Amino acid sequence: MAVAISREVRDGETTAVGTLAPVAAAGVLAAHLSHARHGRILIFNHEDYWPFRRGSKEFYDYAQRGRFDLFFLSGGQIDQHGNLNLIAVGDHRQPTIRFPGGAGSAMLYYLPRRVIIFRTDHTPRIFVDRVDTIASPGSTPPDVVRRGGPWKAITPLCTFRFDQPARRLTVESVHPGVVADELRRRTGFPIDVDAASPITPPPTPEELALLRGPVRESLAKTYPRFAETALSP
Amino acid sequence: MPFLPVPGHVGSDYERLRPDFRVIADPYHPDQRIMLVPPITPDVSIIHAHLADRAGTLLLEEREDDSLLAEASTIVVASAERIVSTDEIRRSPTGVTLEGIHVTSVVEVPRGAHPTAVRGVYPLDEAHLSSYMVLARQDAAFKTYLDRFVLGPASHAAYLAAVSAA
Repeated sequence: MAVAISREVRDGETTAVGTLAPVAAAGVLAAHLSHARHGRILIFNHEDYWPFRRGSKEFYDYAQRGRFDLFFLSGGQIDQHGNLNLIAVGDHRQPTIRFPGGAGSAMLYYLPRRVIIFRTDHTPRIFVDRVDTIASPGSTPPDVVRRGGPWKAITPLCTFRFDQPARRLTVESVHPGVVADELRRRTGFPIDVDAASPITPPPTPEELALLRGPVRESLAKTYPRFAETALSP
Repeated sequence: MPFLPVPGHVGSDYERLRPDFRVIADPYHPDQRIMLVPPITPDVSIIHAHLADRAGTLLLEEREDDSLLAEASTIVVASAERIVSTDEIRRSPTGVTLEGIHVTSVVEVPRGAHPTAVRGVYPLDEAHLSSYMVLARQDAAFKTYLDRFVLGPASHAAYLAAVSAA
């Protein structure tokens, strides 16, 4: 998943990673240490890559200037239209699950040129037909400006591409070893996938060595537990 | 500020769930709609500083939003790791300074952020937070947490003693 994310980072661009996103941070660091050396990367609370010194206001103001080319968001529920639910499952007054709230995610969904949705578990409870509450809309009516929005969604099972005209997530490639049936069973909305669907190129030895070496070392500054366990050689 | 325009929120369920959030035509781009949110003006905010002086000048964590919160609030109660001279706060190379005009009262409370961290001074108490997360799942278990760490200890020193005894 980190490798799939890394390949989406382009050289020369500004790529930012927010809070609670160790896999995205790993992918972005890997890109920065290989094919995207000339880009600017911003990783929440990383001592080498987080320059904001006046709280979250400075970060949001920077985002509002349109400085981010690529950003990452997630949701408690994610639907086929790219809507993210960070509010609640069920009736929001009597929810079965309450999430922490949308915070700035609706704003950050619309400002960067591309947003990658990520989620480290892929289940029909998360990838739903329609979210119960929309905190961050995947698309908006024509009289609402939207500079960016969903670009892809990356999970442990596959990479989705956001089909802009259809406003839907469609399977771009299935990760190695994942069968179509399993992907269908674990996705709560209809997907077009079969044995002939493209397969995500597996991680190369170089990509894995990067993650388990320099990326792991750098990531330990902000996600020590994750670096130690998930990226151990 | 009477309200703030927030881009990106039109089309979300905030329109339905928060009637106090209004959607208007953007006066600068009348063919576009934008959401407005009212200010949050807390009666009281309680914040923790790295350093404070006797006039209420605070040195706050630069990565958090405590100074914004304090400026928005009517009453600001600040605790600080240490009360120091004004000079020491002025010389500090990092952190955000908040002037005493925004602060109602200040009290010295070493390890006052526990079980969360003061960066560069002490880390998160992971063991304490993990046990809190388990106990907070059930009312009965949570009551034992409250009795032991919140309602029981008569002072912050007693609280810290209860924590280290746990």
